[in-house]
Amino acid sequence: MTSLQGIKKQRVGRFLLDWAAVLTLLLCFVVFTLVKGKAFMSESNMINILRAMSITTVFGIAMTVTMATDGFDMSACTLASCSAYVFVSMYLWYGLSLGMSIVVSVLVTLVMYQLTMFLILVCKIPDMLATASLMFVHQGLGQWYIGGGAVSTGMRLPNGNPPVRTALSPAFSAIGRAPLIIIIMLACVLLVYIFLEHTKYGRYMYAIGGNKQAAKLSGINVKGYRYMAGMITAVFIAVGGIMVASRGSSAQVMNSDGYFMQSLAAVFIGRTVGGAEKPNALGTLVGAMLVSTLENGLTILAVPYYMLPAVKGGVLALALIAAYATKKEQ
Amino acid sequence: MERSTLGTRQVSIEFPGVKALSNVDFEVSTGEIRAVVGANGAGKSTLMKVLAGANPEYTGDVLLNGKPIELRTPLAAKRIGVQIVYQEVDTALIPTFSVAENVMLNDTVVNQKGVAMNWRRMYREAQKVLDRLHITVSPRRLVQDLTLAEKQMVLIARAVQSQCSFLILDEPTAPLSETETSRLFELVNHLKANENIAIVFISHRINEIIQICDRYTVMRNGEVVDTSPVTKDTTTREIVEKMLGRSFEENFPKEVVPIGDKVFEVDSLVSDDGKVQGVSLYARRGEIVGIAGLVGAGKSELCKTLFGAAKVHSGAINLKNKKLRMTNPSHAVKSGIALVPEERRKEGVLVNENVAFNLSISSLSKYCKGPFMHKPAIKVNALKQVEDLGIVTPHVQQYVKNLSGGNQQKVSIGKWLATDCSVYIFDEPTKGVDVGAKREIFHLINDIAKQGNAVIYASCENSEILSITDRVYVMFDGRVMAELATKDTSEDEIMHYAVGGQSPQVREEHP
Repeated sequence: MTSLQGIKKQRVGRFLLDWAAVLTLLLCFVVFTLVKGKAFMSESNMINILRAMSITTVFGIAMTVTMATDGFDMSACTLASCSAYVFVSMYLWYGLSLGMSIVVSVLVTLVMYQLTMFLILVCKIPDMLATASLMFVHQGLGQWYIGGGAVSTGMRLPNGNPPVRTALSPAFSAIGRAPLIIIIMLACVLLVYIFLEHTKYGRYMYAIGGNKQAAKLSGINVKGYRYMAGMITAVFIAVGGIMVASRGSSAQVMNSDGYFMQSLAAVFIGRTVGGAEKPNALGTLVGAMLVSTLENGLTILAVPYYMLPAVKGGVLALALIAAYATKKEQ
Repeated sequence: MERSTLGTRQVSIEFPGVKALSNVDFEVSTGEIRAVVGANGAGKSTLMKVLAGANPEYTGDVLLNGKPIELRTPLAAKRIGVQIVYQEVDTALIPTFSVAENVMLNDTVVNQKGVAMNWRRMYREAQKVLDRLHITVSPRRLVQDLTLAEKQMVLIARAVQSQCSFLILDEPTAPLSETETSRLFELVNHLKANENIAIVFISHRINEIIQICDRYTVMRNGEVVDTSPVTKDTTTREIVEKMLGRSFEENFPKEVVPIGDKVFEVDSLVSDDGKVQGVSLYARRGEIVGIAGLVGAGKSELCKTLFGAAKVHSGAINLKNKKLRMTNPSHAVKSGIALVPEERRKEGVLVNENVAFNLSISSLSKYCKGPFMHKPAIKVNALKQVEDLGIVTPHVQQYVKNLSGGNQQKVSIGKWLATDCSVYIFDEPTKGVDVGAKREIFHLINDIAKQGNAVIYASCENSEILSITDRVYVMFDGRVMAELATKDTSEDEIMHYAVGGQSPQVREEHP
């Protein structure tokens, strides 16, 4: 009997841990609603939360893909800043159409990601170290390109020439506003969810992330798929950068860099959702929602803004505890 | 010089289900070089660990100068002067430290007084030890820059620097070249002559034992079966016979399969890491070709090289008369070569994925519509494989980590069966598998051969090689020493070549 109870207890514990992120999220909704009522639980505030989480989610999605192969990219958001510089400068300075500006920004990001892949796959530098050094490269190169200042309406090019465009079109601004920004987020999550869960390429990536050696000896081209994962990551990095620029109506210096930690938190929280134990798209969405809901709710509760990072950090630490502290030694 | 002795009386060790040592009487005295020989799993290392205090669960007595002592911790062993140098030298060295620091490591930990390091004393003392042993490595060099042989010397120097009366060398020559080996032997002889030390020398290379040791102890199945002096008349054959005994070997049914044309041919293959030194071999349709040899002979490395998982330095691999460009395993799989690797859990299966996915991973494209996986097809394949292979699992969604060793191995084999491979390489497929599962795995391998595929079967268990293969290549030191027809050979003959024995003609030329 006692062993049966023990098993039951274990099962309950396991269930609570696996769904800790979702339960916390529900708890947040309940508590904030009880305390603040309509100020929190209103249609407009729900849209606020969705809008606030969308950029975090897209960066989280970018990292989810690379982390599925057991990779890691600390420079994701510094690179996104560069994508934003390119995007806004193409649009304002050189007068490219919105569509072309997006295409050029994505292409430049892909080209810059070759350097990341070169350091990791060819030079065999551990991901963490390679991308840590690339953070500085991105920051320096990006600011060199924009001449040290922001790219925004009414400002001249670094060489003194006047910009071709002097105003942003409504379509440009729409990317950063609800509902489009939320639709973009959901599309990114859906695409990566299908890719990782339902295509062979995604499964290969998880196989590589689970055990490189076994994957290699099963005939999977490990370097090839890690490269593919990197390219996909680069595309989402560019999308994220474009969203940041559109939302801010300009490309401020290092405007995306600050999203890194909370995106990472989203991925790690997402790893634990449903006991997946792997970075996954839906989990990342839940993680980002948890971080954003907390931030939103605490702001409404008038917690000082400078306290918020401590709360976010605490949530990340709890997610990591759920992921690692209960892990059995293999 | 006063002689002291270290020994065991009626020492036994039991692991769950296995008797690793049973009633072992063993004694070694200072001033002698003693060899301990035996096949893999005979209990050599277990006995040495008892003497080094690393196996506290023994029953019976350990004797120092004839008196029983408690030897349950490595520290207790060090205190009475037992030092052991394991084969994996890197586990005992700190690569970023200098030679002197590594030699003096025990001393620093035990005798360093105060907080400040006394560097001058350390280098002086280290130099003294190195001089005493005629080791010419500079004490200021970093250990990570040393060759393997030099690292071993550093470890021996560390052992001698501490109080040392009994030095155990566990397969010290396995990774060394001939010149390095002879340098090591000089050092060992020097120790014996000048230091009043007993040296216990474990090796699979019988010719070396005859060359350097005073006496040898033969172990088999956890027992000491013989201790004899090495004389001028001692031969490799004599020792090998004692190692094997006349134990009864279980037979497995070898099915007769018609043998077809050559499909797979390897010509003077040399691997980049030097573990495979010019191997030529071939395999025919329906044929099971054995690769025999002891642990460390280069069998696993050969298998990996054939599969493109280890870099090729030179040589050619031909499949169906087409030269293969082997740069990574995915090329090998596309060409039709499959490998069931030795380290099942680390290399063969994905333990955190389910049975169905593991069984389809190497042939996933077959179960896809475009890039999308077709889950029902994956499940159908999995159910078929589970039934064909007799994999015991509640359902195909079960994680592979929850299966038994034998069933994991079947999954590791099963993932290749849906591919169109024509050459199957097995590396120690029965390792850690119980007898029943072993038999099933053998049937499976027979079936693979029956379908007209070529099978390469590497194992250090000679009884398996004899019961399942058609032809055997015996490896030693990365080279093929002999090619034998299984029906005309014996365990003795395989062992003779596996320990580096020459073929009879050559032996007559150099009596």
